[in-house]
Amino acid sequence: MKLKYSVLLLAGLLAGGSARAASLYAGQAKAAAVCAQCHGIRNPSADAPFPPLGGRDVEYLKTAIRQYRDLTRKSDIMNAIAGSLTDNDINDIASYYGSVKP
Amino acid sequence: MKKTITKRLNKSLLASAIAVLLSSGMAMAKSDNMHQLYQDNCASCHGSDHGGYLAPALNADTLKGRSPTALRTIVMAGSFDTLMPPFYGKLSDDEIRGVIKHLQETPKQPNPAWTIDDMKKSLKVYVKDESSLPAKPTFQIDDKFENLIGVAARGKYGRGEGSKAIFINSATHQKVGEVSTGTAAHIIDFNPANPRWAYVKTDTAEIFKVDLYSMQATRSIKTGWNGPGMGVSRDGKYIMAGSFVPHNAVILDADTLEPLKTFELEGIDPDGKHVSSDSGMIIGTPYADIFAIALENAGQVWIVDYKKEGFPVTKIEKVGRHLHDAFLTHGGKKLMVASYDDSIVAAIDLEERKLIKQLPAGCVPHVGGGSAVKVDGRTLGFGTNFGDCDKMVVSVWDLDKMEVVKQIPVSGGTESPAAHANAPYVAVDIISKDRRARTVQLIDKKTLEVVKTLDVGGHAYFPEYSADGKFLYISAGYNGDEVVVYDSNTLQKVASVPMESPAGIFSRGRVKYMTRGLSPDEMEQGK
Repeated sequence: MKLKYSVLLLAGLLAGGSARAASLYAGQAKAAAVCAQCHGIRNPSADAPFPPLGGRDVEYLKTAIRQYRDLTRKSDIMNAIAGSLTDNDINDIASYYGSVKP
Repeated sequence: MKKTITKRLNKSLLASAIAVLLSSGMAMAKSDNMHQLYQDNCASCHGSDHGGYLAPALNADTLKGRSPTALRTIVMAGSFDTLMPPFYGKLSDDEIRGVIKHLQETPKQPNPAWTIDDMKKSLKVYVKDESSLPAKPTFQIDDKFENLIGVAARGKYGRGEGSKAIFINSATHQKVGEVSTGTAAHIIDFNPANPRWAYVKTDTAEIFKVDLYSMQATRSIKTGWNGPGMGVSRDGKYIMAGSFVPHNAVILDADTLEPLKTFELEGIDPDGKHVSSDSGMIIGTPYADIFAIALENAGQVWIVDYKKEGFPVTKIEKVGRHLHDAFLTHGGKKLMVASYDDSIVAAIDLEERKLIKQLPAGCVPHVGGGSAVKVDGRTLGFGTNFGDCDKMVVSVWDLDKMEVVKQIPVSGGTESPAAHANAPYVAVDIISKDRRARTVQLIDKKTLEVVKTLDVGGHAYFPEYSADGKFLYISAGYNGDEVVVYDSNTLQKVASVPMESPAGIFSRGRVKYMTRGLSPDEMEQGK
């Protein structure tokens, strides 16, 4: 029984490892290049109309950005901007903003 | 059946008549509105005269043939790697289309006026009785007031809530105060005679008199439409300010900010043409009761005696083509002025009031606040340059012999050098618009070689040492939104101070050492 669990665990770890671990540094660089103009590198401008991303839930951010990219969530400006992002980019960006203290 | 058709016809006629009325009314209102919209959102960077300032000129000429759709995209989404913010959600789509149409139809304005009467009317008093202000700083600074560092935070939109002068205690790296400036703060000057006062100038040419003890503005005055030029006299009693728009300068009473005299900036340029001129740098020197002002387009430096009746002017002509910024040396008796188009730095003797030498300085020299250091018995001046050519160098001059010692290759264009008598490196900000913009390079004072590159993040620029030389402050400008602090010796990051689009950093120590990198003794010589 014990053995079975650890095999499962190991399989899980391996699966997780195959998708590259998120890099906060790469995420910050990508966020600075793609998102920060509107959302800020930590917070959007005090008087800007854009929602803050810093400190948001990482899974939520990933889902939202993927939806914008895949056009399953409509927004003229976000569909255009997220369109060029890869899965790795999205993981990195979401992990970076998730790690920022708002 | 017939009846209904007529009715419908009438209705549609009426509707179209209303539409015509409305749209003609709107068209009339529109160009006025769009002019105001431009002034309120764009002019602080692009120039009130549509002639460009920190950002490109936007007028019928410069935008000729540009696709309105492409321009609309830039306005909506902002322009990456520049200060241009996204106006999506801030301006409506109609406003964006309207302002683009307006810009493509509007020629550059000929030097819009801002007279001494306009200045007088713009004077605002926030604290009526300045004797009611606290006698000592209301924050912790350990009696070392020169530890104060001011940062010009532009704010993402170059105006609004993010636009402030922010003050930091460089011993603790804690923010000790902030003063809202409405539009982007550009220059902070400290009063050399009384530590409590600082003056902040914005890109829309307002000057705020700031009480540093209570961290609030007590007065402000609008000295023009655009332009950062400002200097404070050595006795702390006068301010001289100069504008890009319009082409004038003014001397103010530093206490009340009341304008005393304006100067029209014009003259014969080095090519013999009579031109009207932007104001370049303005500087007060510890050596005498004078201001020096660079006339950018006229290529002249004017010296104004502020203690003499009528503020007489001595003009030094043919200094260079397109002058910009400068720094002092030799106890404030000599002035090194950058000339963009001749690729030189011109040395001016303020005592003799003449040009003494023109020194090679890389392709587009921009010395920022300049730097000078004493090494092995020599006084070396450091000059950055924008490097819009293959030659990306920082120039080093022997300031006694007035000759080039070395042109140090760096990784890109540079804008501002920082040095301190107690710090081993001269820091220069790389501004080339790619990944290099994240970096600052450090030059060893002795070997005159680049020894380290710091990856600061954001668009890193305007390095400045704390007054004791222990810490190096750097703005991780737009896309960074923080000021990063390093240990001057180990170059380890020690702190970060978050703020919106930080730009110029100004140590209160500057009033002590005149030019960054010199020891306070150097200034004593001048007196």
